[in-house]
Amino acid sequence: MEIFAEALLNIFDPATLIFMITGVGAGLLAGSIPGFTIAMAIVLTLPFTFTMPPAQGLATMIAVLVGGLSGGLMSGILTGIPGTPSSVATTFDGFPMARRGEPGLALGIGVWSSFCGGIISAILLVLFAPQLATVGLEFQPWDFFMLVMFALTVTASLAGENLVKGLIAGAAGLLIRTVGEDDAVGVGRFDFGSDYLLTGFDFIAVLIGLFAFSQLLSDLRDPMAARKALSDQKRIKVKIEHRRAIAILLKNWVVVIRSALIGMFTGILPGAGGSIANILAYDQAKKAAKDDSEFGKGDPRGIIAPEASNNAVEGGALTPLMALGIPGDITAAIMLGALLMHDIVPGPTFINDEPVLATSIYIAFFTASFIMIGMQSVVLRAFVLVTRIKTYVLATVILTFATIGVFALHNSAEDIWTLFFFGILGFAMRQFGFPLAPMILGVVLGDIAELNLARALAIDPDPILFFVRPWSLFFAIIAVFSMVFPIYQKQRDSGSWLARFYSPLMLVAVSLPLFMMGGAFRTSLAAIALALGGFVLARRANRRAV
Amino acid sequence: MSFNRDTIAALCLMLASGGLMLASLEIREPDYGVLSPATWPRLIIVILGLLSVIYFIQSLRFPAVKTPDAERQTLPAFFSYWRNVFYVFIIFGLYLLVLPYLGMLIGNMLFSLVLLTALGGWRPIILHACVALMASGGMWLLFTYVLDVFLPRGSLTGL
Repeated sequence: MEIFAEALLNIFDPATLIFMITGVGAGLLAGSIPGFTIAMAIVLTLPFTFTMPPAQGLATMIAVLVGGLSGGLMSGILTGIPGTPSSVATTFDGFPMARRGEPGLALGIGVWSSFCGGIISAILLVLFAPQLATVGLEFQPWDFFMLVMFALTVTASLAGENLVKGLIAGAAGLLIRTVGEDDAVGVGRFDFGSDYLLTGFDFIAVLIGLFAFSQLLSDLRDPMAARKALSDQKRIKVKIEHRRAIAILLKNWVVVIRSALIGMFTGILPGAGGSIANILAYDQAKKAAKDDSEFGKGDPRGIIAPEASNNAVEGGALTPLMALGIPGDITAAIMLGALLMHDIVPGPTFINDEPVLATSIYIAFFTASFIMIGMQSVVLRAFVLVTRIKTYVLATVILTFATIGVFALHNSAEDIWTLFFFGILGFAMRQFGFPLAPMILGVVLGDIAELNLARALAIDPDPILFFVRPWSLFFAIIAVFSMVFPIYQKQRDSGSWLARFYSPLMLVAVSLPLFMMGGAFRTSLAAIALALGGFVLARRANRRAV
Repeated sequence: MSFNRDTIAALCLMLASGGLMLASLEIREPDYGVLSPATWPRLIIVILGLLSVIYFIQSLRFPAVKTPDAERQTLPAFFSYWRNVFYVFIIFGLYLLVLPYLGMLIGNMLFSLVLLTALGGWRPIILHACVALMASGGMWLLFTYVLDVFLPRGSLTGL
């Protein structure tokens, strides 16, 4: 109770609340502008939080995150252009509903669906994170190392169309982190005699360069588009219809809960974020509907599903971060950066070691969702103003801000050079079709991977242990299957060998480490997986033989 | 089988992997510690090298990235296509070079003004000046007086 009270005081401190209100507003605005992503807003918030106490800094970032996740719907519903990839599906029914004369209702449904999705995922975060952390306490260095490898491979396979490019990006991210003095013995690596390289790249400057700077360059690339504003509408007269929206949501509570669960579990999976969850939830809502003829023409369920799911993603992404220290997506990776900036290393003991901070994160998540509801109407007016600003003006202002922010991290002009170099690298990678998410994860998790590799080899130099210990074998197996997943997805309807045997083989394979873990629950789970996998395998093999 | 942008990128990555492997030989091997400081980077470089070879083969068999039409024509067309990106690179590079002399307040104002004018043209110069003044000045005030961050002063300007 004392912990809860202390956390409550942290979040309801007037300064923190002001930062959170500003953060939600900034997030809503950033999320509503196409081309300016939520991750960019979060990464640009980092330098501000540097001087704040950890709880205040994280609450501010969570506020930006919650605002950003809900901001995309404004642009999607009112202009038909999704503000973020997480709100692509919202435009399918939101924009038609707005065009038929009900923009206030469409916004209301979107706002309240976002709120419900956020609250459901916050509840699940509070319930699941400590449970997952208890499992995480079983992990030894071998297991952590393989968990990082799994996070990288699954992100590489889900982040882009080409797995090899994703893996190259992940490996490059790990390599970037090795530049400078080795943490264990203090030996310089890849410094080429330069003091700047010997100190290593500040990873927050790297993140801002890779993500924000390169995104701004992409937005400015087309000279004609750069001189245009998003919209030339002088006024948008919309009043958000809260009461009608709530009534519709209550009528469709099943869609709300199902979509929030889809979002939550998509978020837990490293690499799969809101951009996947909103489409998945929309698709499920359409499939589950008795009458789907109104989908695409302004069906409320077509707004509820994507908005409830994309807001639930972050609760999911924060769960492995808080429980294991492994981020579920880019925004969670940046949050991990914020924690590391304050010398807090999340892991299975984080919730027990830092109970006040962990509880503050939970409370901030809930509070930000309530602030978001109140801020929508205010930001709607600002959104109309911002959409009239030309892209190049916005981009220049943000670039100037990023520059000061990066300098403020360590009062070092060298960090601005890092921002510049990695901005160019990130832009080149975008142009060549390399996904940035695996690289960012590689940069953030590089030290954790090396540290655990060193610890594992210090305990026992036998490398075979990485493949025979139950948890590390489990992560190795799902890492391999996640790498094959893009090929399976392409061949799913082809009737090929891979298409038929991928799922049953995976079930059979994961049953092995589950058996090795022992205990009644895991052995039963392994038996079910083995039986189910074997049954499907035999059935599909027989069908082929016939 | 033809060369394309992916093939060139793969070749660059293979060269970089080779170069970094050579550079990793320069990493000092201390007499203490279990894991040599060079082991982890070398492991990554080997993986990166192998992936680059796969990428190279893939790029020859299935060329995926198409070069934008405007880029293919002439050198002026290439510069015209990437004009804004070059402006940002050059102006930002110059800004970094003059930052120690001008300081962050003046440096950022000039950077914003020059970049806005390069990207948006001369006509709205007054608007650009106002935006540069307010954005850079506002952020300087915010960081200096609200967040207590000491921003660098210029050796020439003293600001």
